[in-house]
Amino acid sequence: MAETQTLDARVAALGGAGAAPRRSLWRRIEPAAWGAGSFVVLLLVWQFVPYFVPLKPGTRLFFTVPSRVAATLWQMIVSGSLWAPLGVSATAFATGLAIAIVVGLPLGILIGRSSLLNAMFDPFITAFNATPRLVFLPLLMLWLGIGLWSKVAIVFIGALFPLLINTYEGVRAADKLLINVVRSFGANEWDIARLVVVPNALPFIVVGLRLAIGRAVLGVVVSEFFGSQEGLGVVMVRAASGFQVDVVFAGLIVFAGLSLLMTGLVKLLEDRMTRWRPGHVNAQ
Amino acid sequence: MAEQAIVRPTFAVRYRKILLGGFAVILFFAAWQAIFLFVPFNPLFISKPSLIAAGLVDLVDSGDLFHDLAVSAVPFFIGLAAAVIVGVPLGIVMGWRPRVGYALDPLMTVFYASPLVALAPLLVIFFGVGVSGKAVIVFVLSVFPFIFNAHAGVRAVDRLLINVVRSLGGGEWDLYRKVIFPSVLPYIVAGSRIAVGRALIAVLVGEFFAASEGIGYAISRFGDIFALDRMFGCILVVMAIAVVLTEGIRWAERAAFPWRAGQ
Repeated sequence: MAETQTLDARVAALGGAGAAPRRSLWRRIEPAAWGAGSFVVLLLVWQFVPYFVPLKPGTRLFFTVPSRVAATLWQMIVSGSLWAPLGVSATAFATGLAIAIVVGLPLGILIGRSSLLNAMFDPFITAFNATPRLVFLPLLMLWLGIGLWSKVAIVFIGALFPLLINTYEGVRAADKLLINVVRSFGANEWDIARLVVVPNALPFIVVGLRLAIGRAVLGVVVSEFFGSQEGLGVVMVRAASGFQVDVVFAGLIVFAGLSLLMTGLVKLLEDRMTRWRPGHVNAQ
Repeated sequence: MAEQAIVRPTFAVRYRKILLGGFAVILFFAAWQAIFLFVPFNPLFISKPSLIAAGLVDLVDSGDLFHDLAVSAVPFFIGLAAAVIVGVPLGIVMGWRPRVGYALDPLMTVFYASPLVALAPLLVIFFGVGVSGKAVIVFVLSVFPFIFNAHAGVRAVDRLLINVVRSLGGGEWDLYRKVIFPSVLPYIVAGSRIAVGRALIAVLVGEFFAASEGIGYAISRFGDIFALDRMFGCILVVMAIAVVLTEGIRWAERAAFPWRAGQ
């Protein structure tokens, strides 16, 4: 892609000042224009469906239009009814993710550095990573009750494995030569971790963090659907069973927006950290 | 690698990882069983491997387990099949027609990044608690890995091969059949690994919500009646199925497309 663009730019430069600059501007904005256009078209079609398609009364109950969703969302923000449930969800999210980071990074480094631990942990990591973590929810609800901690536990086991696996991959990818150099200068395992392994694994860890955020949001939503009394997910389930479809969509937009915002920020960090490496991270 | 070719490693060295892994698993279950000798846990909240094994034997003997699995498998496969049928062509067209790609890529990225499982309550109410409701949730969650991987696969197609087919007089259809589809296939298989994981989540979500049969329903019902041995048994079965599916696809990838190993 990059190659063809530079080639086009070069051809444009050779072609003189005539039509070339205009064309290259369009070329630059064309993807964004199509992308924005498709959003607008989707919203317009959705908005005007009820005018063109006669909906049955039963279906109408499940139908809403973007303007109504936006109005509902705005009302939830202004009246403040959004903030209390969102705070509950955010607490579970942040606590679970924090514990996953505190546990996942050291454990990932340990497993990456020790081939014995690696071999012994591997079956468990494979099994838990392949299994939808949701399957443990009924069990966790029995153990931790309906409330914050069963949600935290689901977020934790969801976010742990991307962090653990990426940290471990990053540690394993550390340059053996560098490790040998610091070791021959008398470094112990702690120095090796501090000077070589962790800096090297950092871009991998950031990728893991991005994946973990996605899993954590999923964990909050799902655990609030089944094992909770309060939180934005609970608001959505109640709205769905009361046929308040616009509230469901408003909740989805809030969850999606926050998820995109957080992963976007981490992605910026990721690009910053990996820009200087030619063949950069591609874990998971 | 070269050293291995010269000195043939002993059995223990060659299978070190598998042996240690197996040992760790056995150790784990043994410790789980043994801890009950020292700590009197409340059997309402935890079970031990011997009881879980007995519970599983019961479930297999009565046929309940296979019945529940069969009930869950139907929406799982219907939803996945629909996701392949919709996702793969869409991804290929997005990759092959740049403007379609420009138009749909941001939209799909937003859908993929948002927790679409949040739509589950709505879908269950709209499509019902039976096969169709669950199949729709499976489809919604698992279609995006197919779209994105088919898209990425098309973009990685060798331009030279395309030019060769064109200069030998091949039409659009020949391009799809001879160049694009074969080189996209490994990507689709890789995508299916992700999709299967999401499809399992979808089935469980659907069955936790409202169902009267199925493996997800079995797990939550056994939890409700404090039948911890059966509950653990079903959880282990789900774990085993998840591992077999994802590792099976990984194995198939390595076997069928060895040049892509490690990607």
